[in-house]
Amino acid sequence: MKAVSLSLKGLRRDLRAADVRALFVALALAVAASTMIGFFLDRLDRGLTRQAGQLMGGDLVLEQDEPFSTALRESLREAGLTLSQQVDLVSMVSHAEAFQLASLKVVDDAYPLYGQVRVDRGEGIEALAHGPAPGGVWVAPRLARLLDIGIGDTVRIGQATLAVSGLIDREPDQSAGFSAFSPRVMMHRDDLAGTDLVQPGSRLEYELLARGAPSAVASVQERLDTLRDNGVEVRDVREDRPRLGGALDRAQRYLSLAGLAAVLLAGVAVAMATRRYVDRHLDTAALLRCFGASQRQLSTLFALQLMWLAVAASAVGALLGLGGQAGLLAILTRFLPLELPPPGPLPLLMGVFTALAILVGFAGPMLLRLKRVSALKVLRRELDPVPASGWVVIGVASLVFGGLLWLYSGDFMLSLGLLVGGELALALLWGLGHALLSALLWLVGGATGGGRHGVRHAWRLGARQLARRRHASLGQLLAFSVTFAAMAIIALVRGDLLTAWEAQLPEDTPNYFAINIQPGERDGFRAIVDEASDTRSDLYPIVHGRLVAIDGESADAAVPVDEQGANVLSRELNLTWRETLPEGNRLVAGEWLDPASAASDAGPVPISMEEGLAERLGVSLGTVLSFDIGGERIEGRVTSLRALDWESFRPNFFVIFPPGRLETFSHSFITAFHLPDDRQATVGELVSRFPGVSLLNVEAILEQVRELLGQVTQAVELVLVFVLLAGISVLYAALTASRPMRAHESALLRVFGAGDRLISRIQGAEFALLGIASGVLGALLAEAAALGVYLLWFDLPPRLHWPLWVVLPVGGGVSIGVIGHLLTRRVRRQAPMESLRLLGET
Amino acid sequence: MSDDSLSEAKTPILHARHVSQRVRSGERVLTILDDLALDVHGGESVAILGSSGSGKSTLLGLLAGLDTPSEGDIRLFGESLTALDEDGRARLRAGRVGFVFQNFQLLPTLTALENVLLPQELSPGPDDEQRARTWLSRVGLGERLSHLPKQLSGGEQQRVAVARAFVSHPELVFADEPTGNLDRETGAHIIELLFELNREMGTTLVLVTHDHALARRCRHCLRLVEGRLHAMHPDEVAS
Repeated sequence: MKAVSLSLKGLRRDLRAADVRALFVALALAVAASTMIGFFLDRLDRGLTRQAGQLMGGDLVLEQDEPFSTALRESLREAGLTLSQQVDLVSMVSHAEAFQLASLKVVDDAYPLYGQVRVDRGEGIEALAHGPAPGGVWVAPRLARLLDIGIGDTVRIGQATLAVSGLIDREPDQSAGFSAFSPRVMMHRDDLAGTDLVQPGSRLEYELLARGAPSAVASVQERLDTLRDNGVEVRDVREDRPRLGGALDRAQRYLSLAGLAAVLLAGVAVAMATRRYVDRHLDTAALLRCFGASQRQLSTLFALQLMWLAVAASAVGALLGLGGQAGLLAILTRFLPLELPPPGPLPLLMGVFTALAILVGFAGPMLLRLKRVSALKVLRRELDPVPASGWVVIGVASLVFGGLLWLYSGDFMLSLGLLVGGELALALLWGLGHALLSALLWLVGGATGGGRHGVRHAWRLGARQLARRRHASLGQLLAFSVTFAAMAIIALVRGDLLTAWEAQLPEDTPNYFAINIQPGERDGFRAIVDEASDTRSDLYPIVHGRLVAIDGESADAAVPVDEQGANVLSRELNLTWRETLPEGNRLVAGEWLDPASAASDAGPVPISMEEGLAERLGVSLGTVLSFDIGGERIEGRVTSLRALDWESFRPNFFVIFPPGRLETFSHSFITAFHLPDDRQATVGELVSRFPGVSLLNVEAILEQVRELLGQVTQAVELVLVFVLLAGISVLYAALTASRPMRAHESALLRVFGAGDRLISRIQGAEFALLGIASGVLGALLAEAAALGVYLLWFDLPPRLHWPLWVVLPVGGGVSIGVIGHLLTRRVRRQAPMESLRLLGET
Repeated sequence: MSDDSLSEAKTPILHARHVSQRVRSGERVLTILDDLALDVHGGESVAILGSSGSGKSTLLGLLAGLDTPSEGDIRLFGESLTALDEDGRARLRAGRVGFVFQNFQLLPTLTALENVLLPQELSPGPDDEQRARTWLSRVGLGERLSHLPKQLSGGEQQRVAVARAFVSHPELVFADEPTGNLDRETGAHIIELLFELNREMGTTLVLVTHDHALARRCRHCLRLVEGRLHAMHPDEVAS
């Protein structure tokens, strides 16, 4: 209790000191950055999971070709899950003389588990939390157009006649896939029996959708595994989150990286401020020893003081972080689902933990000095305890930072790699810094001229002071280099990410996909599209085939265990043939298809496979794949692997054959094209001239992705501001820490007759040189780190950043020059006597 | 001359025997204190004189338990300092020993009042602050409680230090050149104050000085020459 009140009293008094304020600011910034990013990523993650649930129709989707047992449904309900049953089938729908194949979705009263159906029931589009009532159907506008029907008309489905009661604008669980080529009809479960469509042998898919907390889903995990083993397709939102794009993925990595950079910078600031804090408290510690305080009392006292400081800084930082994440969410609000879960407590705890960890790691070894102070120091001022070795301080700080890296990234090897790389870089920087200071001393040692009072004289004296105070200068040089490098990396990655995103979706990215173009329609279709569109992908033939065997073994048995029962094996794949490598594809292994070998009948034809799928299925160059196409078996030997961008909004294929092998099978064509806004009328022409062709408008998805990129960009910039603030806190802390030493120097210079102007110039020159040297070393470090980060984390091509080599030294010289000059202004104005006396007392 | 002239029937509160202090300087070993002996009894005032570099401050540090001698034994309040570790010696001092330093040793970020409160905060009592205020008034700084050291003159700073030394009613006060940083007049005021409090509180006073005026006010004067103490009659101290 005594220690608590004593430490609180001490801290209250200490708040007047610049180093304590610097410590507070640095810790608060670290907590703010880590909680802001933590809160944001946590909520974004949970929000995306919920959105994914909405796209899937539930947190859990089970699918099989027969109804689900009551026992299963009961057990899922008991686990706390809300259920909805659905049947999907394809059937003919007719009105008068018109017939059309439609994709039927039979829903119950619980539908939809997530989101709302947007439907026009004759009074404009409404958002409804239910499906059609018994006796009515909701149909896609395309079907209404094809059958020439409207609301109130009846359609015949199997044996039943049902009234059209609405036109579907959007289903909540509609993904952008190509599963539903035929136009949608949604009907109530009660009407299914009347259609007589459920017959032995009919192709029906029964779906059981479930909604519930992740814990509820996890509690039925065993049951799900059994179901999977029994051939039931189980989709779990936790595993089957849709790929919202590499953009968001990269943005998340960027935010994590920026958060860590802010934490590292705050750590450096804490280390700088702590040095001054310890120096300032050596006398206090010695006096307290004199008055009878034990070593333990001293350690407790200072540890408690700093802990209160950390707790207060955490509170302020957490509030800032909460505000910051609200800002980030406000930026992303149009993209994210409306009901985001509230911020969880975990990021807050992580924030406080981060502050304490920084304190222990970056301040701990230096604080031990206070404990070791001798009482005799009150009589003999020179009796300072030996400072902790710089390498011990850096070593402990690195270990703690490595631990934080591990905690945040969850990747031990990556953290270890970064840590070892970081240490090597530091050692290299230390050596370079040493050499730089020696070179500086040699340079100014030889320089002559410029007069005693000229600017050159001031630069020379400044450089000499910097170089001679080697130990302190090296420490500052390292701290500033790391700071500049961290800030530069965050800025660099931001720039390169933005460029990559902009390049990803240019203005003329295709906004329409056309599927099911028959061979006879191909030329006509192409002619109209070429006339109206500004870009078009090639027309790719599509042949449906199922992968049945790999190297002669049944495909299901040959693939790695976790891929057994995967969609890609159970459904038909879109296969194509082609002479040249498709646009946007990159060969990563093997040779592109040799058409000559396809012509010969000897053995399997060469085929090209997408590298991701090849990896999943354990397929490599030389593997022979067997496909079942329309009952016939075709064999192909993988002779090349391709990398491609699935987010390119162009047709992409897992498997490509050479020409001359698949042409005899039934096939259709697919293409993607971009229609400018003023040519949208072409859609009507295409629909009426080619009624069998499915046109898929992806403009909305494209817009969503573009908007997301724009918003993520803003989020990225907001985070950059935090990193810059953390960087400035380092400058502030370091320059504050060196103030007494500079005060002493300037007082002595004044005593020896130097004028205000000369002292100001000398200090300015010293700061500017320190800044320039730090900028050069920072640029070197940033390039090296960027190389690693780009290759390992962002999958961006590495490159040299020439502007960095100008911006960092110049920016460093100016920023440190200005901040340093301002911070030491008061010191220069002090009477020399006061400066000398103050120094004697600290 | 040493202990004998000071010894009386009761147990001394400070007792040193065969105390030597040597330090190594390169290849050479310097003897600063050599087989020294001293006894100080309760209520006495003892001045230790010596030229600059004679080892006065080293001796004071040893007597107060701030350091340990190379050889010999020192007993403070009857307990052997050499037998105690650093923390044990600190405990022994707590609340019983006061200090006045040449360079005042006030903490620059603490006000006058806070500086006086500092030693008491190690074992706080209910009326600490009132006591500190009283003591500051007592040394004539009742109106300067919230002033920082840099806002006080040297003499005022030393008065704060004196108030801090006496506030916990110590049995023994060590003073290291208490007037060393002050002009003659201010120094005289401080001397007056020290001895007034010494008399009033019955506190034992051990001071190290080269100020003869100060030394003459002490009941006993010792001169440190070549590492040994020699007793002087106060009247022998040249003015």
